[in-house]
Amino acid sequence: MSHPSSLHWLRRRKLKEGIFRVLMAASVLVVIGCLALIMGTIIWKGLPAMNLSMITQTPKGGYYLGREGGILNAIVGSLYLASGATVLAILFSLPVVLYINVYAQKRSRLASLTRFSLDVLWGIPSIVYGAFGFIIMIFFGLRSSLLAGILAVGLLEFPIMSRAADEVIRMVPNELLEASYSLGATRLETALKVVVRQCLPGLLTAVLIAFGRGIGDAASVLFTAGFTDRIPTSLFQPAATLPLAIFFQLGTPFPEVQQRAYASAAILTVLILVISLLARGLGKRYTRHIIK
Amino acid sequence: MKRLLGGMITFAFISMLAVSVPPPAQELSGTITLSGAWALYPMAVKWGEEFRKLHPKVRVDVQAGGAGKGIADALAGVVDLGMVSREIHPIEVEKGAFAIAVVKDGVVPTISAKNPLLDRILSSGLKKEAFIAVWITETAKTWGDALGTADKTALHVYTRSDACGAAETWAAFLEKRQEDLKGIGVYGDPGLAEAVRRDTLGIGFNNINYAYDAKTLKPLPGIMILPIDLDGSGKIEPAESVYQDRDAITAAIAQGVYPSPPARDLYLVSKGRPQAPLQVEFLRWVLGEGQKFVAETGYIGLSPEKLADGRRKIEGR
Amino acid sequence: MLVLTAVPTFLVLLILIGLFIRARPILAQKPFFSLFFSSAWSPLKGDFGLLPFIMGTLWVTFVSLVLAVPISLLTAVYLSEYAPLSVREFTKPIIDLLAGLPSVIYGVWGVLLVVPLVGRVIAPLFGVTSSGYTILAGGIVLAIMIFPTIISVSLEVFSSIPYPMREASLSLGATKWETVHHVVLKKGLQGIIAAIVLGLSRAFGETMAVLMVVGNIPRLPGSVFDGGYPLPALIANNYGEMMSVPLYDAALMLAAAVLLLVVLFFNVLARLILVRVERRAA
Repeated sequence: MSHPSSLHWLRRRKLKEGIFRVLMAASVLVVIGCLALIMGTIIWKGLPAMNLSMITQTPKGGYYLGREGGILNAIVGSLYLASGATVLAILFSLPVVLYINVYAQKRSRLASLTRFSLDVLWGIPSIVYGAFGFIIMIFFGLRSSLLAGILAVGLLEFPIMSRAADEVIRMVPNELLEASYSLGATRLETALKVVVRQCLPGLLTAVLIAFGRGIGDAASVLFTAGFTDRIPTSLFQPAATLPLAIFFQLGTPFPEVQQRAYASAAILTVLILVISLLARGLGKRYTRHIIK
Repeated sequence: MKRLLGGMITFAFISMLAVSVPPPAQELSGTITLSGAWALYPMAVKWGEEFRKLHPKVRVDVQAGGAGKGIADALAGVVDLGMVSREIHPIEVEKGAFAIAVVKDGVVPTISAKNPLLDRILSSGLKKEAFIAVWITETAKTWGDALGTADKTALHVYTRSDACGAAETWAAFLEKRQEDLKGIGVYGDPGLAEAVRRDTLGIGFNNINYAYDAKTLKPLPGIMILPIDLDGSGKIEPAESVYQDRDAITAAIAQGVYPSPPARDLYLVSKGRPQAPLQVEFLRWVLGEGQKFVAETGYIGLSPEKLADGRRKIEGR
Repeated sequence: MLVLTAVPTFLVLLILIGLFIRARPILAQKPFFSLFFSSAWSPLKGDFGLLPFIMGTLWVTFVSLVLAVPISLLTAVYLSEYAPLSVREFTKPIIDLLAGLPSVIYGVWGVLLVVPLVGRVIAPLFGVTSSGYTILAGGIVLAIMIFPTIISVSLEVFSSIPYPMREASLSLGATKWETVHHVVLKKGLQGIIAAIVLGLSRAFGETMAVLMVVGNIPRLPGSVFDGGYPLPALIANNYGEMMSVPLYDAALMLAAAVLLLVVLFFNVLARLILVRVERRAA
């Protein structure tokens, strides 16, 4: 059949397909390219300053003025702070997310309102959390400390973790819940033993996503956690954090120290890479618990 | 003879009362937290180190973040001492700011080393009125407007986006406040220096420690210091040419050749008069022995009168 | 547990109320019009016109969305529908990494690469002289920051569309792209809108990276090659001075409250759109 118009249309459709394929490939290349550019710049500028002492030593006197030492204080400080904040966030996130998915009706107003509030909290800039944390700090008479930082970053991580966890938990099919109830389990038992097990990989990912965001955020710790050259030994001491360490190293007039900022940025990036790979890996490992 | 002996005993008695016994140096321990101006940061770090050599049990934690943060933290009581690189405002004093001047430094105007009109600019400098036209009234749109020639090369003006001492001090020189400075706001001292370095037609300003290289003491590669035509003669006389290296400009500030502002005192601020022995001792040391380290770190020491004033203020006299 | 569930809503209200209480002094003293519709910003003279900052935020966010949405959606479609497994597995960690990069790093990179790019390459192309510290630079950096958000949410949405639907379309003779267009994108529309709103929220709130490249000029922007001054940058730059100028702290708290209200507004809008889309689909 040689219908000229149908052949014409076919060619047009194929052309459209072709154009979009090109656009899509270009988009993906743009995304990958951006990451490559950013990583490349950081590594290129940071490499001269990279050495083992960066991650194994705390700053010796005058580190920010060019002398020896490393950023171990910031690495450990950040890990302490982000861990504390993540634990705090889990304590509040998990009950909330479990409640709106297991206890409340799926379409209840409370669940809707809570999800809406979580979305709003998610969108609040981290500097507002930092400012709010500062207000709370003064209210309780806290000084710049690890604890204050944990509060501010915990506030920041809470909606991030909740949203991610909610995404996973709401996927749990009703049949699974009903099967559990029909075996005589209470809602609490169902929530803790069935739902959590089923969603474990997703929940772990949620926790790690929040952790990654918490460890990298500067605005929320700027006013709350203080800074120090030592590794904190108590919650009430100030703690150095990686983003601020980068920030301050960039702010000195010494080019060698500015280079160290790039090296610190590379270290932070590696840390985040490890965390995200861990998230994916753990996710795959615990998938065996899932009922398909 | 009896009177002399009586006088000596009385004198000894009075001097024993007058001298408050300080705790032995070995007993000082604890932490002093500082935060604030980038301008004071290198000096505070140096002081912290040297103080620790005398009192090994003492920690000095220094955080930058800008003069505004310094005063906010100090007034909120979240930090022991705020580092502030500008004059303290009356409203801050009302809120309890207790400021001690500890050292001096200055702000210098900067241009790119690749400016096409470099030689002309360096030889004639800019008058204060020209700076005002550039940053405040924005009537100078070209380099010609600023220099008073017919040149039509565009002028790109930069200032600081963060509330900071450098901008406030530079504005004070132009008899205004930081918010009156117009131009592209760049974050941080190094940021401004970088912006001016990259923009051949740019004009900006920096703290001395951020305009000069700390090792070579010359202006940072890519930057040149724009001389200020102090007497308005249209030329930079040898007496006005004080910018070759950091030592030259600090000497000029010390001698009063370079005006204040843009040279200025730097302050450590606490909430109310410091009571804790550790803080008092630290401040006393800064105003005394600590002044030894000022020149090598690129700052200008205060006059003996100012130091004495500061000591009196700490002791509440 | 019920009590804890009230926490998110409680927090939103607490923060909103807290900010408004701190902002009350300036709301009481200055006429509403001068705060929101005036572009005069001189805190020491008592002028607190927030309009330039509101416009700055809107401009930068708009530019970033215009740049990010097409690229992100196309990438998500490619990864979900066209890419072989190896490419997909390779790209996912890259996207995670982009998401995890701290904003300080984006800011630093923006100053190093994006600002000169805009100043020396893009602006001259349009016949404009610019230092590069522009709304466009802020938009570009922001766009890269929100790629991962839009991409990953879109990917999840696409993967939830059952395969048989695609197969049905293909069996009717549609090309792959037509299938994507009419089946995947249509069915996934509400999820895509949710993804875009999420990206929008992230863009609004991003502080550090943007403030390093955007020029921080408190004036109404006239073009993308002008400097701008978004609300978060205002708060970050001046937080320290709050105590020192009368009414400044109230003004900054008001700015934060405005930001919060805008985020709220867009979330409400998204909900309404989603409800209508759902209703139409049902």
